[in-house]
This record gives sequence, C-alpha cells and structure tokens, in this order.
Amino acid sequence: MPSLPSLGYGLGLRKEHYHAILETEPNVDWFEILSENYLVAGGKPRFFLERIRERYPLVMHGVSLSIGGTDPLDRDYLKQIKALADTIEPHWISDHLCWTGVEGINLHDLLPLPYTEEAIRHIVDRVKQVQDFLGRRILLENVSSYITYTDSQMSEWEFLGAICEQADCLILLDINNIHVSALNHDFAAIDYLEGVPVERVQQFHLAGHSDYTNYAVDTHDADIVQPVWDLYEKAVERFGNVSTMIERDDNILPLETLLNELDQARRIGGETIHSELNSHA
Amino acid sequence: MPDRSLRAIQQAMQQCLTDGDERIRSLIVGTPGFSIETRLGIYTEAYRLRLIDALGDAYPAVHTLLGDEGFHALATAYIDRHPSHFRSIRWFGDRLATFLADHPAWKDTPLLAEMARFEWSLRGAFDAADFTPLTTQALHDVPPEHWAGLRLVFSPTLQEPCYFNWNSVKLWQAIDAESDPIPPQRLAQPETWLIWRNTEQQTRFRSLLVDEAWAMNSMRQGQDFAAICDGLGEWLDEEHIAARAAGFLHQWLEDELVVAIETGNTSP
Repeated sequence: MPSLPSLGYGLGLRKEHYHAILETEPNVDWFEILSENYLVAGGKPRFFLERIRERYPLVMHGVSLSIGGTDPLDRDYLKQIKALADTIEPHWISDHLCWTGVEGINLHDLLPLPYTEEAIRHIVDRVKQVQDFLGRRILLENVSSYITYTDSQMSEWEFLGAICEQADCLILLDINNIHVSALNHDFAAIDYLEGVPVERVQQFHLAGHSDYTNYAVDTHDADIVQPVWDLYEKAVERFGNVSTMIERDDNILPLETLLNELDQARRIGGETIHSELNSHA
Repeated sequence: MPDRSLRAIQQAMQQCLTDGDERIRSLIVGTPGFSIETRLGIYTEAYRLRLIDALGDAYPAVHTLLGDEGFHALATAYIDRHPSHFRSIRWFGDRLATFLADHPAWKDTPLLAEMARFEWSLRGAFDAADFTPLTTQALHDVPPEHWAGLRLVFSPTLQEPCYFNWNSVKLWQAIDAESDPIPPQRLAQPETWLIWRNTEQQTRFRSLLVDEAWAMNSMRQGQDFAAICDGLGEWLDEEHIAARAAGFLHQWLEDELVVAIETGNTSP
C-alpha cells in the first residue's frame, strides 16, 4: 500500500476550467497543479489557485527538475518550488524520471535516459539532494518514450525501481505512458506493473494518446482508450487504492466531459478494490 | 561515438534536436516496423512544434500579420537563433521584437517588431507579481514641504513604455476583436504606450502625450518631483508646470500604477 492515504480521484488543474470549478464545485476529490504555472507569486494563476485550494486538496507536479540531467541541479528552481509548497501545502510533489536539456538549454520535453548503473548512481544522488532540500520525499513519474539506447543494461521498471529504492523516493505511475512505451519498445505492459515495487506507488496518471500503425505517441490530448482502462484495472489489483487522476494537457475538453471520464476511473477503481476485498474475505 | 558517458549521450541527443546532428543515431536501437529515423523524428518534430506553438500563443497578432507560412518561417529562424533557456515555455520568445528589428528578412517591416513588443508587454503585465496600489489619498497625505523630494515606486506590472511609429495598437485591437482588418499606417507623430495590470486582473494600456511620457520615464528612473517640474519647462509655461505635474501623479495613482511614495531623502 502507498505510504500516504489515497486522495481519491482527481484532475489536472487547467486554466480553462478555473471558472467552472469555482462556480460549480464539481465532484473531484483533488487537483494536481503544474508547478511551473504558479511559481510567480501573483497574477491570475495564483489568484485562482488560492481560491481552488480553499475547496480542494492539491498536489504539485513539475516538468523542469531534469532529475536525470547532467547540468547542476537548478537551485533557484528548487527554492521556488519550496516557496510554492510552503504556501499551498500540497499533499506531495512530483516530477519525471527524465532529462530536459543540457548546457543551460531547455528542450521542453521529457527525454528518456539510458538505463545504466551510471545513470542510477547519478540520479539517486540528485534525488537525495532534492529531498534533503525540500524536506520531503518526492514522486518520480515514468515518461512515454520512443527510443531505446544501445547502452541500456536493464528494463525501464528495473531502472525506476532501483532508483526509488536507493534514493527512498516514491512513484507516480502513468498508466498511459506504460501502454505507449510497451507498444514502442515491444515489452508487455503487465511485466512493467509486476516489476514495480508496490509500496512505492503513490499516484496514478491516466491519459490519452495517438495510435499509429507500428507505434504510439503520447499526446495527452485524447480520450483514454480501452487497453489503458484494462491496464488501470490491473494496476488497481496490484497496487490497491492509489490516488488516481486524469491528465489532459492539450485539446482541453469541457470540465463536464472530463468528469464523466473520471467517473469511469472511479467505477473501475471502486469495483476492482471491492472484488479484491471480497476475494480476500 | 567514443565518449558514451551520460553527459555525452545527452549532448548528442540535444544536438540532434536543435541542429539535426546525427551522432546519436549510432546509440539508438531501431526495429523493423519503427525505424531509428521515425523514432528520432518524433522528438525533433515535437521539439519544434512545441516552441512554434509557444510563440504563437505569445504573439497571435504577429502571427496574423505574417500568415501561417510567414509565421512558421519566423518561428523557425528564432528557435535556431535563440533556443529556450527558460524553465517555463511561457517565457520563451522574450527576444522576438529585437530579433524582428535586426533580422534582414523582417527589419524592413518595422511594424512587426512593434507588434511583438506590444504583445510581449501585454504578457509581461499579465504574468507580473501581485501588488497593492496606493490610492490618491496617499498623495494628499504628503506634507507640502516634502513634495520637492517626492519619488514614486511603480507597480511590478508596469512595462517599459513602448514607443511606436506605426498604428500597431489599433491593428492589435482590430486583430484581437477579429474585426475587419485595417491597413498598417505610419503615424504622423510617434506614440508612447503604457501597459500594466490593475487589481481586477485586467491588462490595461493607454497612450501618453510627450510631456507625460517624459515625466513617467524620469520618475521610473528615480528622479524626484522637483526634477520633473524642472524638466517640464521644455513643454510648459512656468505657471502651469506644478499643476500639470501633480495631475500626472494623480492620474498614475488612479490607474493603480503606484505602490509607494518616498519622501524621506529630502526631509527638512
């Protein structure tokens, strides 16, 4: 079981929904914010965030940590993340197991790492520094990827698991990203789920993607497809009642439509946990 | 590739995205149905599209003026020249106005650089930190003997004034309202535009006459009220100066542009 209690079923907070959230107070258990959108203390984003925070639990999700990058950790960024966390008191803070650029450049992408012992040592050291600075454990999310490096010595889940064990950090498991990467790298998604240490998984992401003939591209701009729902069911069976949210980054739909999709997650999650409980009764 | 350290791999991958460098190809595994070229192509294409989209978000009116093809060419040239060093992609594009003003392909259409300048200022005002403005009462509370040394601290949302030779703001308004296009026109007199955000989170802008523009600039640079009055002699008769200068200050407070009044340095 995860180390913190489940928050239930959440959505990614998007500016397109600010007004609808405040006006209708929808049936969403919690929101995940994109940390980078709120680092400046002021302006419209913080204005709405303060109000939404009064009504809903929040978690922070970043895209700029570049935990696998080989430039020094960005101390200014970490200070801003800490300052935001001190203000809005999120239940947890997450970022991605990836790198985003070197030599000061930000490629604004979540780029995959070679799965090597060298990379593990490098990342474990950086995660420890980040956790010491923030004074809390962080969650690392698996990204979708399209390339495998010839130097990789292990599977992605072994890599993720080793880092989290050695650095004592937690996991944000993106179910869609597992599905996409499984198609692109020809592994069985279920093997990924079974290779991840259960006690470290703190949160799930669900999202949509684009399918091509021989591969899939993670776009986070479409409805969740049936194979991802099936994989989610398997994930709930293995990891239990883990905080689940739908992450939609583009082609933002009306809140109501996303609420319907979230209800589907609730249904699958609820039924799976119920039947698991019964089978153990 | 002789050096296969984590850093060397990342440098090679980055150069593939930014410059089309092919060294990384030898470090990637391809499969029959999904070639190395297609795999890397997903990253290189996404890299450019993401940055072009970010520029399009920041500069919708420049996009409209140039059309899809023209804007794509501009964005591509800008991305090659100024790759992002920003944490948030929202800040990418900060040098587009200067880029347009200097680049041989666009510098002969100075309206474009003005439009870029205006749009980036709107974004700057929108994104700036929160502030608490003073009301005009604060001005009434300044004792007469402190007026000469009075200085102002302006709102963090107030942008560098824009100096325009073209009807850029009118064009922007027409584009923003999606109304009928109006022709670009060179102005008879250059205009100074002030851009800021009020406490109701609305972005505001207005043009200034030349004396107000000068006074505003001088006060932003830290000059005091006495220096402003001296300088206004350039445009006004002696007897009208004090009232005109006080009128500016009053207006700036009404506009929610002022966060502090300092009189300390010249207290008697």
